[in-house]
Amino acid sequence: MGIVNYLAHIGIMIGIYGILSLTLNFQYGFTGLVNFGHVAFFALGAYGSTLLVMSGGTHFLVGLIGAFIIGGIFGLIISLPTGNLKEDYWAIATLAAAEIVRLFFVNEGWIYGGPYVAGPFGIRGIPSPWSNVIPTDVYIFFYLGLVAIFLLITYLFLNFLSNTPFGRVLKAIREGDDLPKALGKNVFSFKARSMGISGAFAGLAGGLFAHYVSFISPYNFQAIETFIVWAMVVVGGIGNNRGAIAGAAIVQLFYSSTRFLKDYVPIDSKTLASVRMIAIGLLIVLVMLFWQEGLIKEKKSEYKNKLKRVSHD
Amino acid sequence: MQVIFNSLIRAAELGLLAVGLTMVYDLLKFANFSHTTFATIGAYLALLLSSNAGLSVYLGAIIAIPVVGLLGVLLDKVVFKRLRGSSPVILMITSFGVSLALRNVIRAIWGSDIRSFDIPLYRGINILGGMITPIQIGIIVIAIVVMIIFHILLHNTRLGKSMRATSDNVSLAQASGIETEKVIQVVWFIGTAFAALAGILMGLDTQVQPRMGFDIIIPVFSATILGGLGNPYGAMLGALALGFAENIGITWFNIPTGYKPAIAFGILILILLVRPSGIMGKKGL
Repeated sequence: MGIVNYLAHIGIMIGIYGILSLTLNFQYGFTGLVNFGHVAFFALGAYGSTLLVMSGGTHFLVGLIGAFIIGGIFGLIISLPTGNLKEDYWAIATLAAAEIVRLFFVNEGWIYGGPYVAGPFGIRGIPSPWSNVIPTDVYIFFYLGLVAIFLLITYLFLNFLSNTPFGRVLKAIREGDDLPKALGKNVFSFKARSMGISGAFAGLAGGLFAHYVSFISPYNFQAIETFIVWAMVVVGGIGNNRGAIAGAAIVQLFYSSTRFLKDYVPIDSKTLASVRMIAIGLLIVLVMLFWQEGLIKEKKSEYKNKLKRVSHD
Repeated sequence: MQVIFNSLIRAAELGLLAVGLTMVYDLLKFANFSHTTFATIGAYLALLLSSNAGLSVYLGAIIAIPVVGLLGVLLDKVVFKRLRGSSPVILMITSFGVSLALRNVIRAIWGSDIRSFDIPLYRGINILGGMITPIQIGIIVIAIVVMIIFHILLHNTRLGKSMRATSDNVSLAQASGIETEKVIQVVWFIGTAFAALAGILMGLDTQVQPRMGFDIIIPVFSATILGGLGNPYGAMLGALALGFAENIGITWFNIPTGYKPAIAFGILILILLVRPSGIMGKKGL
């Protein structure tokens, strides 16, 4: 695997995590929902698409649609009991929900039959889409393009949403439930829809991930993934879509490049893994302490202009 | 009887953690996700002192607990003090970063292997048909004694009075000459020291591993919320209720042990739906 292929690999990971950080940013940055269980969507999408393709024998695209739907439904379901909660309760509830989802995949091996598969063993041999038509040596670039298209779709769609009346209500909810309630908006329903939409796209990221790495197990979907995505959102700038992608790129580049540190520094790979996690944790703390707006500030000025226009009318 | 023993042991560990968590929440109004990490740190520190420095396990524990308490105070000084008055969300995310970093510091130093304290294996004693080891009896007794001391501290000392006053109304407490920042430090100290104690007890009962703090975070939060966030007596009661719920669920309703955290989660959701303020309501310290 040459350097170019490795860069393509990093690009794919940036794309997949970029979708995750865009969707988390949509929940937190736009709606103010502190989701500490984002990895649940990722896991459900990955397993959903895998099972559809491998057990159901459907096409990759059907698998992705399945991942999209499962993620969306889970977003709605999780909002039902928790929709009216304050942010701290919400954070705990989502953290717990993600852990339950993971436990489900650890304990319920029957979802994909056979000895030593599924459950804690994971599922291997997930087919890569169109691998019989695309030559192997350029396949990784094809997949990079595929991921890039989905990242672009997610970005454009969420960007579009945030500028619609729907998106503006979400932003109002972020600043507190009282104002939108006073305007007669059903806050609960808006929160649920926000979770559903972003959950669907996060599920999509899970599907893309599963068909790329071709092996998934519950260990891919531990709570730590959620915090890596959080690091991406806070570094990039809360409430800004381009920031979310930039954050994903920065954290992923850091994450991928430090992997080779062990070739230059006398450190074993287990310790290195911990050191990388320490760095991610410190990164979150430092950004929160000194740099809360992140890399790209949220664009708020356009509202001022709009208000001016309204007052002139 | 076995169910009662197991539940009490679990409740002892959960209770110590939940009380600390709820106290910090009460004063600073944020859910500290790094709280259970201090249990892990406490256990590893005691392990270090006992197996590497050659002290007895109990001496190691006695030294480790206040050290972890001071670490909690230090953490507040370095990180959380700068964020006083920030939104609870910022504080929560920060505490998550802290927990991630601390957990991996432990992992970097000690590795991910499961370890255990160097204590003799005790044979279980049969009491009314249930088996319990002397260590486990010790865990329950220690937790009860600590809770009683905590109660006396809260109600019969000047410090406890200022803690309750600060919890009630920070500005009023300040106006009455209470140094609220000092009170906050004391609360951090007690909270994290309790967590360390819980971690050591958990280690004595089973084993020590880097994940232990994180694995218990959902039950601890469930117990805390069950009792009403910010209410230490509620937290104790919540821990007791949750300890019993988990063990009854596994023993009598045959819920697979793999789903133990799901029991805590189910109760959490149920409580949030029915009584978001917890079984004892919001009352503060």
